[in-house]
Amino acid sequence: MLLASSFVVVALILCVATVLALFGVTHVSMSGAEAIERDGLAPGMHAPVWSLVDSVGRVVQSPPRVPLQLIMFTDHSLKAFPSVVDGLREVMAQERLEIVVLTRRRNELAEPVLRLIGLDRIPVLTGSPSLYAAYNVRVTPFAIFVDSAGRVRASSLVNEAWQVTKLLQLADLPLGPENLAPRRRFTRRTVGAGV
Amino acid sequence: MDVLVLCAKTAVACLLIVAGGAKLADPASFASTVRLFIPLRIGWPLLSAIAVGVSLGEFAVGVASLTFPAIMALDVLVFAIACVFVAVSAIGYAFHRGRSCRCFGALSQRKFDAAGVLRGAVIAGIAAVALAHVNAAALQLDATARVLLFAAAALLAMTAFTAARARGAGSRREVVAQ
Repeated sequence: MLLASSFVVVALILCVATVLALFGVTHVSMSGAEAIERDGLAPGMHAPVWSLVDSVGRVVQSPPRVPLQLIMFTDHSLKAFPSVVDGLREVMAQERLEIVVLTRRRNELAEPVLRLIGLDRIPVLTGSPSLYAAYNVRVTPFAIFVDSAGRVRASSLVNEAWQVTKLLQLADLPLGPENLAPRRRFTRRTVGAGV
Repeated sequence: MDVLVLCAKTAVACLLIVAGGAKLADPASFASTVRLFIPLRIGWPLLSAIAVGVSLGEFAVGVASLTFPAIMALDVLVFAIACVFVAVSAIGYAFHRGRSCRCFGALSQRKFDAAGVLRGAVIAGIAAVALAHVNAAALQLDATARVLLFAAAALLAMTAFTAARARGAGSRREVVAQ
C-alpha cells in the first residue's frame, strides 16, 4: 500500500512539475524575441478592412484604391528611428504606393513630429489597440503591406531603411498557392471607426 | 530501489503523454517526419492518419502506464517504444541528419543528430530501469488513485497540446527585421 501511495505521489509531483515547465516554456516563447518575429500577418492572409479619417478630413481606407498600401504602425516615436524615416522617404515617391501611419491610440504629437521629420504627406490615422491586435502587432515601428485585393503582401518589424525597401520588394512578389489560404486565426473583419 | 523504479516509470509515462499531446497539436508537421521513414510513395491522408495514430498510441501507452503501474506488460511495451525511439534517432541521424525530428511537435526544435541518438538511449535506459522487479501486489491502485492519475495525465496532455499550439502558431518565413 505504501508503494502504491508513493507511486501516486511521485506521479502527481512529476505531472505538476511538467505542467509548470510547459507553462514556463510557453511563456518564454510567447514573450521573447522569437515571438516578436511571429508578429504581423502572413503573406496572402486577408487584412482587416477599415476606413478612417485623418485630422484634415482625408478618408483613408484599407484595402487601398492604389495597388499597394504600406501601413506603418508607429507614432511620434518614429523620430527615434532615423533610418526607418530614410527608408520611408525612399519609397514614398512611388505613385502605386500609399503610405499611412496608424497609431495605437489618439496621439497629438504624431502629426507635428512627422511634419518635423519631413513625412508631412503621410496621413496619420488614429487606430485602436483592437486594430493593432487584429494585425497582430505589438511592437513598433511595424510595417505591413496590403494590396488592393485586401491581402497582406509582406509584414515585419522595421528598424532600418533597408528593411522598408526589402519589404517593398517582397510585397511585389506574386503570391504562391501556399500563401493564398489563410493560415492564422485572424480573418477579415471590419473595424468600426471613421466614416 | 523501488522509488527509483517508480520515478523511472512515471518519468517515461509523462514523457510519452507530453510527446503524444504535443504531436497531436500539429499532426501535419509530424506527418512530414513520418514520410522520411516510409520508403513508399503514399498520400498525405494516410501519412496524417499514421501521424495521428502514432501520437495517440504514445499518449494511450503513457496514460495506461501511469494509471496501471502494476501491469508488467506495459513496462515492456514502454521499453519497446523507447527502443524504437533509439532506432528512429539512429536512422534519422544516418539518413536525414539535420532535419527536424518533431519528437515533441512544436515544443522542441530538436533535429536528427548524435545528441538525439544519445537522448533516445537515455530514455531507453530509464525505461529499462522501470522494468526492474517491483512487487506488483503492492502497486495495486484503488479507483480514486486511478482517476486522480488519469486527470493528471489529461491535464499534462492538454498543457502539452496547448503549449505546442501556441509555440507553433503562425511561424513566420518572411521576416526581414532583427
